[in-house]
Amino acid sequence: MSRSAEQWLQALRDLGVDRRVRIMNVCGGHERSISLAGLRTAIPKNIELVPGPGCPVCICPEEDVFEAIQLALNEDIILVAFGDMLRVPVNAPKREPRSLEQAKAAGGDIRPVASPSEVVRIAKENPDKQVVFFAAGFETTTAPVAAMLAEGVPDNLLVLLSGRLTWPAVSMLLESETPGFDALIAPGHVSTVMGPEEWEFVVDKHNIPAAVAGFRPDTLLAAMYSVLRQLKDDRRFLDNCYPEVVRPGGNAEARRQLNEVMKVSDATWRGVGVIPKSGFVLRDKFAQHDSREQFPSYADESRKRVGEMPPGCDCARVVLGKIYPNQCRLYGAACTPRKPIGPCMVSDEGACRIWWASGYRDNEWEGRKQSVG
Amino acid sequence: MCLAVPMQIESIDGFQCRCVARGIEREVSLFLLQGEEIALGDHVLVHVGYAIQKVSAEEAADSWELFDEVLEANA
Repeated sequence: MSRSAEQWLQALRDLGVDRRVRIMNVCGGHERSISLAGLRTAIPKNIELVPGPGCPVCICPEEDVFEAIQLALNEDIILVAFGDMLRVPVNAPKREPRSLEQAKAAGGDIRPVASPSEVVRIAKENPDKQVVFFAAGFETTTAPVAAMLAEGVPDNLLVLLSGRLTWPAVSMLLESETPGFDALIAPGHVSTVMGPEEWEFVVDKHNIPAAVAGFRPDTLLAAMYSVLRQLKDDRRFLDNCYPEVVRPGGNAEARRQLNEVMKVSDATWRGVGVIPKSGFVLRDKFAQHDSREQFPSYADESRKRVGEMPPGCDCARVVLGKIYPNQCRLYGAACTPRKPIGPCMVSDEGACRIWWASGYRDNEWEGRKQSVG
Repeated sequence: MCLAVPMQIESIDGFQCRCVARGIEREVSLFLLQGEEIALGDHVLVHVGYAIQKVSAEEAADSWELFDEVLEANA
């Protein structure tokens, strides 16, 4: 990649695409780079950058977070989870813990971890206790979880798996009547593991231009230039603007281990519903390490708003790119990083939190505009 | 959550290795890169304690500039 960010920006302007084009990204890391670098204001106004389903914490089923909380409170276990998961709220009655953080305060042995290796260490250090690893994440994170199990773990280590695949959510949007975008920037590190080929359907089946991007402004701008040029030339293909890291076929060993340890199944996305073939479940031979097999289910269908986002929260539509973060009525009003209501404001990968951290302060909720105007 | 950070390998012991980046040291698993030729001094992209891809020294240096900016912005 020889051009600098400034040169890509100039090339992009020089293309002279003057119709409205909405470019979706499906990665919290991409959205963070775009927002921090101020790319949204640097490019022509008719080019919109839409954050889409790029936050695994945000779409982790509310039921799974509830399950993790109940396991931590009712079973004699140590519950470990990636730090991002601890503040994700569930729809529990007021007096009950509404997050893993609150369950910890209520006496649950809940510990944040940054790596599956840490989980193995905790299990080894506590042989008399069962350790449940609540593992939410997209392919990039789920592959190391598979590696952990493939390498062999202590008998007392169990996994409550909430792994998800990214592309089925994009596929669902494209199959709908209103996809909400005209071009796609495909995720860099998901593609590093799974291979860029996963995104070929976007071009082949839906005739939508797509480009894999890395995380620096130059590679993101190169991907934006690519998809705009594809539209202008009316010649679509899957471009790879991150070839120094994303290679054909991805990481074959990682894909092999994912396939050996897990199978793909239909899965629930919080506030969205079931997306076909979008989730990972442990294969039968790992049943003794499957928390869902070894513990009773604490699912309670009588709870109010099971599976939904918190009341008033529009995270589900933010995740799907239907609205921008600041078009939620709660954004910056009742919901801020200090006092988050929805998971998109909790997670570092959540579009709402990224926008807030990047300085977007205006709430542009449609209802407010109407009441003012 | 899917963001991976490039680090340089300092020592290797089976599938475990010791990596360093900008003075920060970490234990990293090479389990997802078995089959690849890995040598001391190589750079790998690390995500949740697992190396997921080999990268060039140049790519690693470029990425670190970005992470410095992100860390600064979050500080």
